[in-house]
Amino acid sequence: MSIYYYLSAFLFCLGLIGTILKKDLISMLLCIELMLGGVALLFILFSKSTGFIDSQLMVIFMMIISACEVAIGLSLIIALYRNKQTIYTDEIKIITE
Amino acid sequence: MYLNYLANIARYIPELILVALMAGLLILETTYREDEKNKKYIFIGGLIGLVVALASLVANFSGKSETIFSQSMIIDPFSTLMKIIMVLGTIGVFYLSRISKDIYESLKTEFIVMAVGILIGGMILASANNMLMIYIGVETLSILSYVMASFKKNDERSSEAGLKYALYGGLSAGIMLFGMSHIFGVLGTIQFSGMAVNLLKLNQAQMLILMPSFILFFVGIGYKIAAVPFHMWSPDVYEGSPTPVTAFFAIVPKIAGISALARIGFIFFTAATPMRASWILLLMAVASLTMTVGNVTAIGQKSVKRMLAYSSISHAGIMLCGLVVINDIGVRAITFYGITYLFMTLVAFYIVSIVQDKYGNDHFDRFTGLAYRYPFMAVVMTIVMFSLTGLPPLAGFVAKFNIINALLNSHFYTLAIILALNSVVSAYYYLKIVRLMTLKQQESNEVIEGFGFLNQFIIIVMTAPILVLGVFWENIMMLANGAKIFFQ
Repeated sequence: MSIYYYLSAFLFCLGLIGTILKKDLISMLLCIELMLGGVALLFILFSKSTGFIDSQLMVIFMMIISACEVAIGLSLIIALYRNKQTIYTDEIKIITE
Repeated sequence: MYLNYLANIARYIPELILVALMAGLLILETTYREDEKNKKYIFIGGLIGLVVALASLVANFSGKSETIFSQSMIIDPFSTLMKIIMVLGTIGVFYLSRISKDIYESLKTEFIVMAVGILIGGMILASANNMLMIYIGVETLSILSYVMASFKKNDERSSEAGLKYALYGGLSAGIMLFGMSHIFGVLGTIQFSGMAVNLLKLNQAQMLILMPSFILFFVGIGYKIAAVPFHMWSPDVYEGSPTPVTAFFAIVPKIAGISALARIGFIFFTAATPMRASWILLLMAVASLTMTVGNVTAIGQKSVKRMLAYSSISHAGIMLCGLVVINDIGVRAITFYGITYLFMTLVAFYIVSIVQDKYGNDHFDRFTGLAYRYPFMAVVMTIVMFSLTGLPPLAGFVAKFNIINALLNSHFYTLAIILALNSVVSAYYYLKIVRLMTLKQQESNEVIEGFGFLNQFIIIVMTAPILVLGVFWENIMMLANGAKIFFQ
């Protein structure tokens, strides 16, 4: 398996761990993007190794949709910041179990 | 070739109507002055558009099944039926959003536009026939849902709920894509038909890669239907968002996700392979966990809305049970369950919403003595609660009976027992409302404005199917008997 597989898996895991461990919302969003970046690389890699281009199509759509997701995510962070004046997850927990 | 592509549009009219509707409503809203409060034409326009889409779906219903747009979408009776359920649910929620005070008056039009958008996403998911369409469907559903969940802009809970939803959604979409990429790496295509063919020619090592990939793939859809390991967002989102939004979330994304899962099961796992065994094992574990956790947590809730949120988790678990048996009986049971679930949920949320608008909260105590003030509404609520529990002769009983029947037919005895036990547990919290409404004396004699003649009439119209389907279900199932539900 080529080194690119390990690179993309590393990027994915880094994003996944970061999303779970990070405490501020902006970093969490960035980590999700990192995750998607790793997956996009993986799709392109598989496209090269299998010789089919279906997955390159997936990458293009992924880029568009992740851009939308970030836009929505950032606007939600702003909406929350207006109410709570913080973006740290420890300080904003309101809904109780 | 290209002309064929264009000719396919004829089978895609319902979705096109909704896309045009969404754009049209956006344009219509700009024609209003900024200080205009009552934008009733948007409501009327939305309702007309949905009814037209519903009519075109019904007209399409008996047409022949086929794949369209270079096999990326599938139009068959199953997908059409699921779309009909979703459109009916949206129509119900539209009216609820109109009468509810939980949504700000100025945002009601935006709610309608976004609900149509989410509906389009659900319809894409219901007829998806390749992985790209699954991904686009899930994301169309999700991205608008994030906004909808944080609809109360000035409410901390609402914006927290939306943000939570967005972060969980982004995470699960990433995991789903990771699974998809490995599935593509092994099978070499994103078309379901091609994948199903390649699936039978795998060797041992490739299967070992594919099994966890399918589990990862399941995460993305399991998150949308709030199946249990991925359900953490749902009680918070359901409680934080306005009641009409909660009702909408309890119906449309769940039905869409279930239908996508049903199609995946049918296309990939009909042949007896180790893959089928692992998929069934995964679904069994998730279904039993979903039912149990949903029910057990619902017991301790104080707010009725939150209770309904947990109970909708457990209902998703019951629908997942129908997916475990990958055969026609199971699919028929799921579609029947979907129809009854739609009406039960809508009526329950209507009544909760009206009571909540009056008192400002929706604790169980608010229902005390409702039977003495609004006997009609108390009877309707009792019917719905009995039906949700699964007591005969109501539709909820028949729906559960069909699912258990499907399970027993394929010898899944453990799962059937878990389902039956869960029904018993759920009786506790559903019947609690009935007990409060009837056995306790009323505290006050206040008038609940929402229960006007029109609203009562609409609620009763929606309750009628629960009674009718509970008694005359045999004829309906006979009609579906032998019909080719899936395009294969």
